[in-house]
Amino acid sequence: MWIRLMIPLLAILLFLLEPAFALFSPIEWNGEFFYFVPRFLILYLIFLSIYYNPKRAVTYGLIFGLLYDVFYIDIIGLYTVLYPLVCYIAGWSVKYIHQHLSITTILSVLLVALMEVALYYFFRFIDFTNLPFTEFFMNRLVPSILANLLYLIMLGWAFKYLIDARVLQKIRELS
Amino acid sequence: MPHFSNKKIIVLLVGTIVLVALIGFSLRDRQNATLPEQFIKDSVGLAQSIVAKPANYITNTFQDIQSLLNTYKENQRLKTRLEDFAALQAEVNNLKSENEQLRDLLDHEESLRDYEPLRATVIARNPDQWEEKIIINKGSSHGVKKNMAVITTQGLIGKISLVTPFTSEVELLYTNNPNFRVSAVVQSEKNVAHGLIEGYDEERNELILKRIDSSLEINKGDKVVTSGLGGIFPKGILIGEITEVTTEDFGLTKMAYIKPAADFSMLEKVIIAKRSATVIDGSDGDGTDADLTNNTGIPGEGEEE
Repeated sequence: MWIRLMIPLLAILLFLLEPAFALFSPIEWNGEFFYFVPRFLILYLIFLSIYYNPKRAVTYGLIFGLLYDVFYIDIIGLYTVLYPLVCYIAGWSVKYIHQHLSITTILSVLLVALMEVALYYFFRFIDFTNLPFTEFFMNRLVPSILANLLYLIMLGWAFKYLIDARVLQKIRELS
Repeated sequence: MPHFSNKKIIVLLVGTIVLVALIGFSLRDRQNATLPEQFIKDSVGLAQSIVAKPANYITNTFQDIQSLLNTYKENQRLKTRLEDFAALQAEVNNLKSENEQLRDLLDHEESLRDYEPLRATVIARNPDQWEEKIIINKGSSHGVKKNMAVITTQGLIGKISLVTPFTSEVELLYTNNPNFRVSAVVQSEKNVAHGLIEGYDEERNELILKRIDSSLEINKGDKVVTSGLGGIFPKGILIGEITEVTTEDFGLTKMAYIKPAADFSMLEKVIIAKRSATVIDGSDGDGTDADLTNNTGIPGEGEEE
């Protein structure tokens, strides 16, 4: 029973942890500011999409994207679209890739990087920022990607373990 | 080429229209959060503040370790400062009592400087960090109103941009919003120069102070404080220190870069400053020609001008 509950609960926990980690950022080093954007939830949802059920992942993406928009961003419709879209792409890619943990990790981080770039262009488009792309790349994208990669290397196996347990449970229920 | 049925195309089109409408709606300059938004914000805020407690504890430990490493250097520096400080303290006390006496003489009680502090804890920071804002655990039920100044013990950090019953959002000084202006004063030794904080330089990570009278002399290292003339913020809150002075585009006025006094990276406890003097809304309340000085409950928001 608890494995069944763990999957949405972990999503909620990660959703709530993200802004707590954002409090550490930006970090000043050598007179430059580096931004670390925590993307814990979407990475977990990508794993869910690849190893468990793309449809479920898209639904979670929609719900949490909406919460994210309303609570943090105040632009309703931004993450509400991006989260399910990323989950959908991840679910679609399952057919073409080998589902090894390391490959999934790299794929997830790449997808998040793509999302990050899309967000940058969106915020540029609506004049929230006038940061040049090189600055964005060096001070935001690269540090965020490295931090999220580190996080996935530490916790990716745990996600896989949990999701595998749930999949096994489901098979047992069916048989 | 994937095959799309008619039904799917219609759903996709309707979805796109709804999406654009929603984004357009939320990008408008809104006064208040809508009811469902308030509900979501308050309930997520409640959960968030529970999670924020252990997180803040960890942040504190982290900061403690950091300050422990710098102890020796800091101690040296502080010792040299301490002597100056005693002299300064005596002078401040002297001036304070003199000020009070003069005020009594004039029968002038209310000052732009006075404010009621309201303590709040930061429960979240916008995780994607594009728009610089933080969310705090005090809302309209605690008496927070839009546009109040938010400070830390080090200096000004921003103003309240959105209020729900139990949480509110703070727009930080580091913003690209062209309407976020703060009326400021440069305190140099010889004269007092007025200016407006307008925007911030993303590459230098410094605020820009514009419209300073070019006949006045201001120098690197001068302190910049709020003037209280914008009608919303209390007077005399430290904003930062000038790092560079240049002339503005047309050479008519000076502009200066300011390094903020407050540390924006690890915000945890903030103080909301509720000005005691009459708050005057900067904008003409939605073009209604409402009496802005006598009517305090004017609808409509005002940007600090």
